[in-house]
Formats: sequence, C-alpha cells, structure tokens
Amino acid sequence: MNPVVPNSATQQAIAVENLRHTYDGKHFALDNVSFGVERGEVFGLLGKNGAGKTTLIKALTTLIRPTSGKMSILGLDPAQDGQEIRRRIGVVQQGESFDFATVEGNFDIYGVLWGVPKKIRQERRDELIRLFGLQDVRKKRAFDLSGGQKRRVQVARELMHDMDVLFLDEPTTGLDVIMRRELLDSVRERARQGLTVVFTTHNLEEADYVCDRVAVVDEGRILAMDTVENLKRLYGGKKTVEVTLAGGDSQAFFERLRKKLNGGELKAEGNSAVILTDDPKGTLQRILELSQETGVQMDWLNIRKNTLEDVFISSVTKSENQ
Amino acid sequence: MAIPGIVKLMYRNVKVNVDPGTLIILIGLPAMYLVFFGFGFGTMIPGGGATAYLTFLTPGIMSFQCVMAGTVGGSMLWADRRWGMLAQLLVGPFTRLQYLLGIMFTSLIFGLAGALVMLIGAFAIIGASLHVTLWGALTAFGTIAIGSIFFGSLMLLISGLVKSNNAYNSIQILIIFVVNFASTVFYSFSTSLPLPIQALFQVNPLTYVANTARGGFDGALPAASSWQIPLLVVETVVVLAMATRVYVRSEISFV
Repeated sequence: MNPVVPNSATQQAIAVENLRHTYDGKHFALDNVSFGVERGEVFGLLGKNGAGKTTLIKALTTLIRPTSGKMSILGLDPAQDGQEIRRRIGVVQQGESFDFATVEGNFDIYGVLWGVPKKIRQERRDELIRLFGLQDVRKKRAFDLSGGQKRRVQVARELMHDMDVLFLDEPTTGLDVIMRRELLDSVRERARQGLTVVFTTHNLEEADYVCDRVAVVDEGRILAMDTVENLKRLYGGKKTVEVTLAGGDSQAFFERLRKKLNGGELKAEGNSAVILTDDPKGTLQRILELSQETGVQMDWLNIRKNTLEDVFISSVTKSENQ
Repeated sequence: MAIPGIVKLMYRNVKVNVDPGTLIILIGLPAMYLVFFGFGFGTMIPGGGATAYLTFLTPGIMSFQCVMAGTVGGSMLWADRRWGMLAQLLVGPFTRLQYLLGIMFTSLIFGLAGALVMLIGAFAIIGASLHVTLWGALTAFGTIAIGSIFFGSLMLLISGLVKSNNAYNSIQILIIFVVNFASTVFYSFSTSLPLPIQALFQVNPLTYVANTARGGFDGALPAASSWQIPLLVVETVVVLAMATRVYVRSEISFV
C-alpha cells in the first residue's frame, strides 16, 4: 500500500513528506516516510524493534534533524520553530528519564520546568499520583521503584503540563494488564478532548484498542497505513490459517508448504506458522497432504478471522520477500 | 511574568544536585584541605605559624571552588545523559543553549556558595586575622565567578568530547590534581621551581584566580593581575564558545 501524502498541512497536527534519516551515511533509519496525523487523532506506529519508530519520534520531537524531507508539527517547521513546537508537545520516551528525587519531587520539578503555577501544579501532581496508583511510593526515590512503577511515573509526569500533541514511545512497557488498560483508556479520553497522540508499540492488541489509524513501519519505511478497520478489511478477503507441528523438521516442512501455496503468505517461527490466504480450505488440504507425505504430525491446525497482528505479519513478510 | 527557561533549569539543577555526595565534593574536600593543610603546613612555617598560613591559604581554597564547581557542572551533564534527563529536557520547552547555560550558571552559584562557606569556615578558625574589606571580597568573588565559568565550560567541553564515562572521570581527577597543585592555591609562585612547573603555574587559570583573590584580601592586586585577569576573561569566552559549539552540534542519543 502506498503511504498517504498529506494534502493540507493546516488541518493536520503532523505532516511528514519524504522523510529520510541516516546515522552513518550508509543505512537509512528512515527511508522516504510520508504521513499525516489529524488533530485529535490517535495515530499508531507499529513495528519490530529497530524498525525506525523511535528515530521517527526523535525527528518529530526535534531531537534530531532529519537528513532530508519535510515536516510540519502543528503547522510549524521544526527546523525554524523547534522551541515553539516543544512548548506544545509532550514526550514520553522509550528509555527511563528521572531526576534524582522522590516521585513527588520529580512531578514538582517537572511542573516548574513547564511553568505550571504552584497551585495547579500541586493539584495535578496529587491527581496524577492518585490516577496512576502511585500513592504508596510518592515519597520514594524514583530510581528505587520497580520497572512498572517507573513507567507509570514517567507517563503521569508528562501529563503535568498542557499540550497539543503527545508522543508516547512504547509507554506500556512493563505495565500490568490493568494499568495498561487504564493508561490506554486515559489516552483515548484525552484524544476525545482534542489531544493528538502519536503512539508507538509492538503490541498489536493495544494498537487495535487505542489507535484510530496505524502505520506499519519496517526498516525505516511505512509498509501499510490506514484505519485499523480498513486494514483488516483490506486483508478481509483472506483468512488466517494457524499450524503448529508436533515435531520433525519444521523448517523443511514449512519450506515445502510455502512452495505448494498459491499466493498465500506464510510466516514461520519455530514449530508454528501463520498463513494468510484467500483459500483457507485449499490451504488446509495442502497442509494435511504434506503432513501425510512427510509423516510430520500436527499439534494444532486452525482457521480464524484476521487480526491486526495478521496485517502486521503480512506487511512485514511481503516486504522481506521483496 | 513567565520565568526564563535558564532560571527554571538552574532551579532544577540546584534542587537535584544538592545531595550529600555533591556537598562532600564541593564543600567537604576543600574544607579538609583548609583544615589539614592549614594546620599541617602551618606548623612548618616559622613566625606566624598556622594562622599566617591559613590567612594565605583561605583565598586560595576559595579560588579552588571554581574547579570543584566546574567538575560538578560536568557531572550534571553526565548524570543527565546517564539517567535519560538530557533527552527529556531537550524535548521540553528549552533550547540546547539554555540547557548548557543552565548548567554553567549553576556551577557559578555552586562556586560562589562554596567560596562563601570556605570564607566563613576560615573566619571560624582564625577570626580577625583574616582582613576582609568590601572591595577585597568583591574582587575575590568576582574573580571566582569568572573562574567558575571557565572551569564549568572546560568540564562541559570535555564531557561533550569524551564518550566514555570512565575516561571522563579519569580526566576530571587528573585536571583537579594538576590544576590544583600547579597553581598558587597552596603556595606562592617561585622562580626556584623547576622550569616546567613554573610554566604550568604561569599558564594555569587557577593561578590567575588565586593571585587576584589573594590580592583582594591583601588590599592590593599583584602587578600580574593586570594581564592575568584580561587573559582569564578571554580564555573563559573562548572555552565557553567551544563548549557551546561542541554541545549544540552534538547528536543527542537515548541512553
């Protein structure tokens, strides 16, 4: 699928056109990336580790200057208006970032840095500490917290200040299921109130849950981009066949199966494979035939409807095969 | 009225860095020099003894605060890199230059505060033997302010160029040692010193700071201050410009 090139920068919170970035002059961490994000939209960047998501966030948040291409954030040019853009965005980075202070202290310092008046600062701090379940650790040093608690502090701290666009770089890493759901609900609620959110993740379930649109990123390129529903519909003529082998030479089995499939996309990992196909019955039959031919037994064989994960696997597999 | 970005960053730097570890480096170490060297070497000096030597040593130790404040400034940058706050602050409402100047001015505050603590400590030990006039204090603190910016810039320049934390720490210790002992902080310049050491004394900016601060306390600046202070100012401007250039151009990476 061709990426959508933004038509009107004025209606969009973010407009990116042919963005390229290289760290070493040889390999492109971003390779002709183009997309637009509407105001109030939750936009997801999906991709494996090292796909280029964080580099894209760094470029959008003015932390690095891209090698080439055009960008507009809130109608402003990052090369000229970096500080004005940074005044209007919030960023939760992938890595830890804390001051050597208590949880409360981290909130207070951050509020001061963002120029939040004292009374509002204290109210917001207390509300966020309550919302993110940090009451028991508010007097502890941030460095002494568990991984999940640290992540909660980092996300909550960013909400101390007002913003138009929030960049969340894998914000749910280390969070338990309940806290993850509460965070995602909070993101959706804020988007309903007009906040634009750019959200990177490799967890497809949460992208499906929270994002209005997603872009699948791999090797610095956008492979697919649309609403979650449209992407599923795009691959909707197809079904997913899942197979898990009981033993034997799975690699050889899947190689032979790949040759037998007509147009089906197969992604194997260990003893298991998922096959995206528009002929699920025929695929099933070929798997059974191959099983009989080779004597390889199966633990699991199933046909199911597509998920966003299938869209992701299909996009990345296609790209790798090309 | 909105508080300027540099002031907010300075507030944050002071708040985060006033911890026992920093205070030991900033205050404890120079205080120990003042007490142990003051009394230890003082007993070897005929005539005035410890009091005379402490009177000589106090402006030197106050000047030494420039170096300590500079190293604390360099360490701030390292800590912000190590704990992810550098990248976090740089996606906040600040410019890279504001961040750099925020550290620099925090170093300046630490340098002046440290010098004041040393002065009060010296008063507590030798009392009225330490003659301080308003002009003398202004001269001493003014020179220490320039010195703090010089050493703060130097340490930020080094931390901008050196990529390994261990290498940075080693360089920092070496600088503290060489700059401190190849200066007039503890003893006067003498032509009987070996020539290479004489040369080190002459090019060491801490010598300029210590000579001028001591002159302020003595009520008369040494003749050499007429060229040492302008040179210190020029060196400070050059090192500050270099640190700014290296830092602003650097690619910030997540750690």
